[in-house]
Amino acid sequence: MKKINWGYLGSLCISVLLAFAIGAVILAVAGFSPLQAYGAMIDGAFSNARHVGDWLEYAMVLCLTGLACVLGSRVGIFNVGGEGQLLLGAVAACQVGVWLTGLSAWIVIPAAALAAMAVGGLYALIPGWLKVKVKVNEVITTIMLNTIAASFCQYLAKGPWKNPNKNMVAATAQLDTRYWFTNLIPNSNLSTAIIAAAVITFLTWYIMQKTSVGYEMKLTGQNPRFAFFSGIKTDRLVILCMVISGAMCGLVGMFRVYGVEHLYRSSISNQYYFEGLTVAMIAQYNPVTVIFLSFFFAILKIGAQGMELSAGVPNQIYLIIQTVIIFFMAAESGIFASLRAGAMRRRARADIRRKGDESHA
Amino acid sequence: MLEDILGSIFSAGTFNQMLRSATPVALAALGGAMTEHAGIMNIGMDGMILMGAFFGVLGSYLFGSAAAGVAMVLAMGVVVGLFFALFVVKFRSDEFIIGTALNTLALGLTSFLSRSIFGTAGTKGNPALPTVHIPGLDSIPFLGQVLNDNSLFVYLTWALVLVMWLFVYKTPYGFWLRASGEKPETLRTAGIAPEKMKWLASILCGLFCGLAGAHLSLGQLQGTFAENMANSRGYIAFACVIFSKANPVMAFVAALMFGFFDAIGLRLQDYISSDLTNTIPYIITVVMMVYVVVRSQRRKRRAGGRLTRKQA
Repeated sequence: MKKINWGYLGSLCISVLLAFAIGAVILAVAGFSPLQAYGAMIDGAFSNARHVGDWLEYAMVLCLTGLACVLGSRVGIFNVGGEGQLLLGAVAACQVGVWLTGLSAWIVIPAAALAAMAVGGLYALIPGWLKVKVKVNEVITTIMLNTIAASFCQYLAKGPWKNPNKNMVAATAQLDTRYWFTNLIPNSNLSTAIIAAAVITFLTWYIMQKTSVGYEMKLTGQNPRFAFFSGIKTDRLVILCMVISGAMCGLVGMFRVYGVEHLYRSSISNQYYFEGLTVAMIAQYNPVTVIFLSFFFAILKIGAQGMELSAGVPNQIYLIIQTVIIFFMAAESGIFASLRAGAMRRRARADIRRKGDESHA
Repeated sequence: MLEDILGSIFSAGTFNQMLRSATPVALAALGGAMTEHAGIMNIGMDGMILMGAFFGVLGSYLFGSAAAGVAMVLAMGVVVGLFFALFVVKFRSDEFIIGTALNTLALGLTSFLSRSIFGTAGTKGNPALPTVHIPGLDSIPFLGQVLNDNSLFVYLTWALVLVMWLFVYKTPYGFWLRASGEKPETLRTAGIAPEKMKWLASILCGLFCGLAGAHLSLGQLQGTFAENMANSRGYIAFACVIFSKANPVMAFVAALMFGFFDAIGLRLQDYISSDLTNTIPYIITVVMMVYVVVRSQRRKRRAGGRLTRKQA
């Protein structure tokens, strides 16, 4: 068993507490009672089985998207385009299901999963290839590709792949009920997709932490030149990781379609990838921490939605709390350093003053 | 059919639209140019624009005048710039993480405040910035239509582009600013703390991005705020900064190019689905980023070739 990083855990706890304190101030300024709001948040996450199901489902989304982000950043490429890959994967998987209607679920679901992974992976290949071969900054390209993908999916849902029902605006046709993932908790979003997600999570963790490929990835991310000269095919590895990261995002899109929405519309993902990315950042790109933190942030998210319904507090307070945590975590070493520097300066000044006093005496 | 399309693309309306679409991007790119010169990779501009858009509308709503909105945006710009510099310069945090977090924070904060203050995700019909009518300009046939009767900030942007160009290349402050990014240690030896220039650049960036947002909400959309209305313009501005190598005039040209394709997209909406035409400016931005890198690599290669010839 590896040693737990107590320093990280300590600063995480302090950051979380401070973030909640700042959230409380913002709530109070906006005219809500912080205690009541946080109470409603906890209530919203655990008050009934349905919410627990939603919580687990959202934790799955955060975990997979967070790991997809870690996969990229491990080798030094930031996949900020997961949102687009997720949406394209969702729309492709959904349409495959619609086209193959009538066939057995044993054929349709694997076909849809393959389609989602292929589309997500290929879409990630563009920025990955551009980064490695042409050296174009991947952050900008992936973000642009997000917007392009979102608009394109919207076009498909309104145009060629539109739902035959006229009342459904901007949605594709619905899947046959035979292909829906079985619901594990009635009326909640939780479906059997979480089992597949658990397997993927385990595999990702295993490959990253326990295999030589995982070690090569780490080396490539930390020192690409050294990795290259030790004989690792860094270019290929980076592109491969980016493609797998995209494929994972595509798969999350498929899980959302087959497990929750059963058709494609833009509510399939409301910037979910960015929340996964945030979790990965707070976890400092450590896969195990990502898994644990996903469950924690999913509580916040589902709780915030419940809070909006019961206490009327806008659920975006969740985003605020989450980003404040990142700010503290990212600045942690800097804050300590400047505190230490301040203390040293004070001590030096006191020394000078003491010496001055002595010389006067 | 084709003639219709071409006719509507190359009309005065398109070029007017180009100016309107380019203005927020150009303003943000001016701010981005400052941080770029100071050696900060600033991808938090999108969030700064969004905050500017929101606080502009908020000030306009609270005090009943667009001028108050702009004043509020300027105050907000300074605060956001200080906030950004606190983390990036003082605490030396990862610029990428802080930028991304700033964007998410802006999204959460503006949506939260909008819902708690206005009760809805957005608001409209607040006092807006005036449009400027230049008498006599109408008599010039094509240019008059393009250049006249724009929102106030469109003209302000032209002035600011010039001022910032002068600032960066013709004043000692601009010189120090560039040095703080390129050779910080040299600047320190000369007796000027590069950190100070980085703080200044962050504040300027906050101000310009705030103005970009204010133009978006108070100028272009006449007092309207909508959730996530910056719509990746901050990233496009960042691409413009890279494209122009942080030269304010070239950044403005890049923004105009973006504006032109955005305007074409809007024109083509009569013929193709708007969801498809919306993607045009973003595709152009990707192409632009690729072009920049290819161009600089080719230049480097050519420079390398010359060097060897000289050595031989």
